Amino acid sequence: MRRGVSRAALVTLGALACNNGLQPVPVCPPGFLGICGTVAFRGAVPDSTQAVFIVAFDSFPQTLSDLFKFKPASPVPLPRDRPTFKYAVPLPNGRYQWVLAVWEKVGTLTPLTAGTLLQETGFYRDASDTTKPGVVVVDGTRTGIDFVIDFGNRHPVCSYFPPCP
Amino acid sequence: MTGLRVGALLALSCVAVRAWGQATGVVYGSASDSSGAPIADVRITTAGAAATSDVAGRFRLPGIPPGRVVLRFARLGYRVTQDTVVVPAGDSVRVDVTLRPSRFALEPVIVTAAKRSQLLDQSATSVALVSDSDLARRALSTVDEAVDKAPGVLFLNGQVNIRGSSGFVEGLGSRVLLLVDGVPANEADRGGIDWDMLPLDEIQRVEVVKGAGSSLYGSAAFGGVINLLTRDVPVGFHGRVRTTAGAYADPPDAAWRFRDYVGGLGGLDVTGSYGTEAIRGSLTLGGRHSDGYREQDKSDQWEGAGKAEWHPAAGTRVTASGSWTSHQYQVSPPWCESGQCDDRGLAFQPFMIGTDDRGASTRSDKGYVATTVERTASAGFAWQARASWVRTHFTDSKPDDWGVANRYGTELRGTLQPGGDSDRVVTVGVEAARADVTSDIFGGHAQYELSAYGEGERRVGSVRLSAGGRVDEIGLVGGALGGQVSPRVGVVWPTRLGTWRGSIGHGFRAPSLAERFVSTVAFGIRVVPDSTLVSETAWAFELGDAVSFGSAARLDAAAFWTDARQLIEPMFFESGGVPYIQFRNVLRARLRGFDLSFVARPLTRRLETSVAYTFLDARDLGTDSVLAFRPRHLLTLAADYGLGPFSLGGDFRYVSRIERIELGLSWADDPRVAARVLDLRAGWRRDPWSARLLVTNALNYIYSLTPGTLEPVRTASVVLTWTY
Repeated sequence: MRRGVSRAALVTLGALACNNGLQPVPVCPPGFLGICGTVAFRGAVPDSTQAVFIVAFDSFPQTLSDLFKFKPASPVPLPRDRPTFKYAVPLPNGRYQWVLAVWEKVGTLTPLTAGTLLQETGFYRDASDTTKPGVVVVDGTRTGIDFVIDFGNRHPVCSYFPPCP
Repeated sequence: MTGLRVGALLALSCVAVRAWGQATGVVYGSASDSSGAPIADVRITTAGAAATSDVAGRFRLPGIPPGRVVLRFARLGYRVTQDTVVVPAGDSVRVDVTLRPSRFALEPVIVTAAKRSQLLDQSATSVALVSDSDLARRALSTVDEAVDKAPGVLFLNGQVNIRGSSGFVEGLGSRVLLLVDGVPANEADRGGIDWDMLPLDEIQRVEVVKGAGSSLYGSAAFGGVINLLTRDVPVGFHGRVRTTAGAYADPPDAAWRFRDYVGGLGGLDVTGSYGTEAIRGSLTLGGRHSDGYREQDKSDQWEGAGKAEWHPAAGTRVTASGSWTSHQYQVSPPWCESGQCDDRGLAFQPFMIGTDDRGASTRSDKGYVATTVERTASAGFAWQARASWVRTHFTDSKPDDWGVANRYGTELRGTLQPGGDSDRVVTVGVEAARADVTSDIFGGHAQYELSAYGEGERRVGSVRLSAGGRVDEIGLVGGALGGQVSPRVGVVWPTRLGTWRGSIGHGFRAPSLAERFVSTVAFGIRVVPDSTLVSETAWAFELGDAVSFGSAARLDAAAFWTDARQLIEPMFFESGGVPYIQFRNVLRARLRGFDLSFVARPLTRRLETSVAYTFLDARDLGTDSVLAFRPRHLLTLAADYGLGPFSLGGDFRYVSRIERIELGLSWADDPRVAARVLDLRAGWRRDPWSARLLVTNALNYIYSLTPGTLEPVRTASVVLTWTY
């Protein structure tokens, strides 16, 4: 009887003490292909927000129609109910010349309206010249890119393809 | 001699003792166990006088009226023993008593639940005790560690919770009242608790009263009361040296390493005391250093505490006590997330801080002084008067903030026991306090508290009925006072199925000066004052039963239900697109559940085991959601085995995963897990030396209870104590 009690106590203690505490969590999940990191919103999310995305372009768009050649083709909108959060955007292997956060205004998005409805709210910058976009290489080893999305500092896409209306 | 193994020995006039009154005599002697080993801290009482045995088991009761007196010897872990002696006028009588161990036969005497001495099983509310032997065998270093393992008590990053009372609000506005020998010691500005105010070595035992205690203690006793009772000063010369040395384990994963050396900790406390029959005094000085277990976590602390007693006449004691602590520590902010430090490709680095947070530190000085006059005028009437001053002073760097706060308090209390028995007891008292703060983030403000209280208890048959209440008027200097009436009724009913207890009482907490007037920046967000805050209130109900199974086991169970209104919580708002935090009376909440405490010797008398479990269902009734920072399950298992001078033991604490946190949505992705912490200990004692090895968090379980705040890693320490 006593031996049984002792065994039961040890088994209970062992089960309860099983070490499942915090473990290191890679920014990008193991085997994930794409870019990952943290998004931090700065300022209030405008009421006129349709969605916020993170997308990548193989090459810097040269025309308004190039604006629709982003990857992934169907980006998932970022959550807007919290100021910081983790994100993960799957992308195929390759070099990306423009990786940016895009704010989309409420409205019907067409190539004609894209210049005003889409606004850049932050992009991955070149380390040597932070005014220019930096190249992101996706090869399964990239650890992460963090975005600060400043809603008070948006740039309409038409500013890249003037004139703006 | 009531069948004692060894009876009391009377020896008349063997030793010349100078009595300070010719009409009185002295009772002296010793207390030991059946092996002859001395027993310290035995409480010896007789009508109008009391004493405590020292480390050699010796005691002395001066000023005893001549004639036949009944002595009562009590100590946790031993049977209560009574002896009758004849005290000669102007002479002494010696009584040596042998106490028989019986963990469960003794009903411990408590002093907090009813603001007077009473047996534990006569309390209408649940009380958890941490005895001096519990403190010693755990080889602890700080007061909060001592309180943390009490059944139903949980610390969340330094903020104490009794049955989920406080949650976590960065230490602000504690819903638990801290007393030091009955003196309120919560901070005057933030309403929180400085657990480093008093050296652990000064504490003899801790009483934790669960549930609303405002009917006797007023504001802050919303969720319970914790009373730290300091050691009595023994007669003669005594000394104690306690050294601690230890080391923190490295992070269990190489990707979390943050330093290339082993972090250490150490401390030294030295206590000296001297006492005569009339005057006694003790002084403790100490210091400790810790490298911390995470980045930017070093601390240095210097502390001192003293106590002086004067016994001018039989049944009269004047006590002056105080402490002062200077604590300089680096401030370890929430751990760094990806991109905020050298994250090494990880989403968070629990041992590191953000590069922007480096350099933050605090100097925190705090202390108290208190003077108490106690007089047992007769077997039926005793009174007590006290005055106290609690002062805190902090200076932060990065951000550069500072504050000075004072709380001046006074109380007059009387206890009437007609006929000298405990069948009818009335306790009445008045209290007054003034709290003030001068700070760059709280401003300059002062607050008054005026109170009157009373509680009566009467035995009807085998049932004890109690009823009482307290009136509090609290207001800002120059402003209007706000009143609170806090009644409580209770019943204690001994039956064949244990001693049942039930109570229903009112609790409240006035907003602290900090909650009303804080103006600062936290987490990058502006904190805005709200001077319109009103007191939060609660009705608390409890039904409990305590059952002893011979001398082999004891079970204590209680169900509780608290309905709280106007709870003060930090809330996030937005103005013009700019977020801000403000304390508001927002929540209506219900906290209900039950707790169990079971102590047993299942295999051999050398092995003592205990299980304490609390189930908590805490709901925010406004949003019909789980109340933040209230874990549902709290389990503590403990076992201790003693063999001669050696002892071996351990504690296991399980805290279920906290389901909901507050502090904004920025921590919505906080990686929370349940806490599973195993502490192991071993000890050896051979008077005057004792050595204890303690390994806390032996499994090096990595977890957090509050967002971004790593709880301590495995820490091994050795405590060496010399006692004279």
